[in-house]
Amino acid sequence: MSATEPPTYQPAVPSTPITRSTPKIHVELTPDPLNPQEATTFVRSPSAGATVLFIGTTRDSFNDLPVSSLAYTSYAPLAINTLYSIAESILQKHECTKITIVHKLGECPIEEESIVIAVSAKHRQAAWRAGEEALEETKKRAEIWKLERFEGGEGVWRANRDGVMGVRVEDEGIQTEGGGVNGPGTAGTGGT
Amino acid sequence: MGPSASPAGHFVVLYFAAAASYTGKTSEHLASPMAAGELFGRLEQLYPGIRARVLESCAVTVNLQYINLDGDDAEGARVLLKEGDEVAIIPPVSSG
Repeated sequence: MSATEPPTYQPAVPSTPITRSTPKIHVELTPDPLNPQEATTFVRSPSAGATVLFIGTTRDSFNDLPVSSLAYTSYAPLAINTLYSIAESILQKHECTKITIVHKLGECPIEEESIVIAVSAKHRQAAWRAGEEALEETKKRAEIWKLERFEGGEGVWRANRDGVMGVRVEDEGIQTEGGGVNGPGTAGTGGT
Repeated sequence: MGPSASPAGHFVVLYFAAAASYTGKTSEHLASPMAAGELFGRLEQLYPGIRARVLESCAVTVNLQYINLDGDDAEGARVLLKEGDEVAIIPPVSSG
């Protein structure tokens, strides 16, 4: 059995964005390309003097191993609740004006945006701190998983917590329906 | 997927990331009721080795709420998994 994925594996993702919004908070999980400009537009406010924008992009290596592609999957109903709760507590704690957290699902080509966070506040210190904390909390808590595919090899589910590659195990005894190079065809996840 | 999809006398278990890879499934139905503390043992019977390889680093949610299964006397172990519940195995996350 294996905790890795064959090179052909495609994660199931929702076909349309999943969002939760109030006038001050917007969180979203989307299969579409991310738009940083939309994020900064959302957090604009006449009472805010500072906007901090963070853009996370996908890197072409992990521990010096070449990564050929990445895909994200999620337990969307839970992850959207978690993102909202992170946004809500950060808004309060740092007395920010508005905040948005948007994460990509599905295939994310190397060097494209996988996460966009924008936060506005009256002054810059609060906005910097809130932006950093929003990212760290999201990486720690949001129920989203990254599959890194290495050149010439299978995909490996990554864990932020320990910063190490997922466990690779022998292929012997795989008990999947499809078997062979294409199975587990049903493996992977989807929020819907 | 979801609670309404469970047949009578069953709850649904959702598998993500490494848990989905190991089981070869994204979800399945198990007979209810079951104490949450028995879940990992049941899954180990179905997928030998999953406990050490995958489950020991996973959290568990029931109807979108985390339950605490750490330790022998964890209060979450006594939670009863009932017909129609949506249970999920949550491996260590990796967004960003």
